[in-house]
Amino acid sequence: MTSMEKRLHKELQLLQKEPPHGVKIDVESIHRNLTEWIVDLEGAQESLYRGEKFQLLFKFGDRYPFDSPQVMFIGNNIPVHPHVYSNGHICLSILTDDWSPALSVTSVCLSIVSMLSSCTEKKRPPDNALYVKTCSKNPKKTRWFYHDDEV
Amino acid sequence: MGNCLKAHNNDDISLLRGNESSDVLEQPSGPPPPYHHEPSQRAQLYYPSPNVSRPANQLTEEEQIKIAKRLGLISHLPTGIYDGTSKKGKECAICMCDFNVGENLRILPCMHSYHKECIDDWMMRSFTCPSCMEPVDAALLTTYETS
Repeated sequence: MTSMEKRLHKELQLLQKEPPHGVKIDVESIHRNLTEWIVDLEGAQESLYRGEKFQLLFKFGDRYPFDSPQVMFIGNNIPVHPHVYSNGHICLSILTDDWSPALSVTSVCLSIVSMLSSCTEKKRPPDNALYVKTCSKNPKKTRWFYHDDEV
Repeated sequence: MGNCLKAHNNDDISLLRGNESSDVLEQPSGPPPPYHHEPSQRAQLYYPSPNVSRPANQLTEEEQIKIAKRLGLISHLPTGIYDGTSKKGKECAICMCDFNVGENLRILPCMHSYHKECIDDWMMRSFTCPSCMEPVDAALLTTYETS
């Protein structure tokens, strides 16, 4: 087993044992393909996204956890949020520049739920139309500018 | 003769020249070469910045110096053998495995400790503690200045 596989198995174990509130994983599908996880997220109770269900796709490269995973929203409910593009890409610094190998699937999910929770007005990023037309399929290839820490 | 370091390209020697030839630094530095993913050469990849990886022969002079300095700084950080006491923490936050007695650890100035291989791999990309994000080199430089 490579160190990436070992670490992912470890995370899977922990997530099964103590799943954080509103985060659900399909263990069967992960056992079939360890490098791509689909995680079900629920909007937090006290947020604008209460009762909404979302899906996140995680893709892990063979240098995980030294390299951050690719993380994006998939499915037919992409949250309407100033940092989430309509193609599912998320502008969140811990997914690229501020990644640390001590972060995990759980902590990324919790950061995303908290990012959604602090939103006060549901709207798309101002450059959504242009970005979605011109971006790469891999959100990690985007040079993000993290200009706003408030939401 | 007598160079026991295996050089993968003839440019490695430029690391030894230091500042004496300033003209070398004025080479036009075009755009970085395209990224090629070659799993077979993975062990030789260097990370001049966290999101940039290149084999040694494609590094600019500036990047080679940066990496050499980083290797030097890493070697100054204390290491230790895990003896089962919980003072140094019980788990490596990078591989998420418990420390086993006898394993090699490296202790950062913020007192977080990791398996030596795990943290050295990370510090070749970023000089921050994965757990508290404390910059490692700032603390090291203060140590140098006060001692």
